[in-house]
Amino acid sequence: MTATLTELETITADKIVDARGTACPGPLLEAKKGMGTVPVGSVIEIWSTDPVTKTDIGAWSAKVGHEFLGAIGADGYDRVFVRRGK
Amino acid sequence: MAGNEKLVFMVLHGPKEPEHATIPFVMACAALGSDVDVVIGLQADGVQLGRIGGVDNVEAAGFPPLKRLIADFQALGGRLLVCGVCLDSRGIVAPDQLIAGADVVGAYRFIAEITSATNSLVY
Repeated sequence: MTATLTELETITADKIVDARGTACPGPLLEAKKGMGTVPVGSVIEIWSTDPVTKTDIGAWSAKVGHEFLGAIGADGYDRVFVRRGK
Repeated sequence: MAGNEKLVFMVLHGPKEPEHATIPFVMACAALGSDVDVVIGLQADGVQLGRIGGVDNVEAAGFPPLKRLIADFQALGGRLLVCGVCLDSRGIVAPDQLIAGADVVGAYRFIAEITSATNSLVY
């Protein structure tokens, strides 16, 4: 289930994946790589300047069994939150 | 790595058409990132993409450099097949002039990959 903006702002991610400056599919591949380094149930936060990342990561999460929590805008980039599901 | 799904991308365009050459590798990497098995088949001028140095400095606007995408594609487990006749007709000598991991194949191998795939796309 997607979290509210207020809930997202209170999340402290277990890992931050800084994919700023990389174009599609870079952020998704970085997210996949980062997800492999944290235990199930952990939350990773992907930073991306590519505007399609939040929709791509949402679809990817549903496909591979993670929980897409949502995204919030930061200063020139998006912060995308995903909980590892498997 | 791979699940039960499999995609085959047939790439017929070479470095002279950067978008046509790049986008299938973008799609392929995204699929591999989702645990989908992926084969890319290079035919016609697309075989230039399998040549050593063939994609140096090829970069479609807005996309990562093609050389990096191909490296990512192979690192993620993607398989690269290259049409032998298309290489011969362009004077490209296999395997000396091909990147590591590129397999030279004939029509039957392409058909076998396509008929066993969930879906095939032609670029």
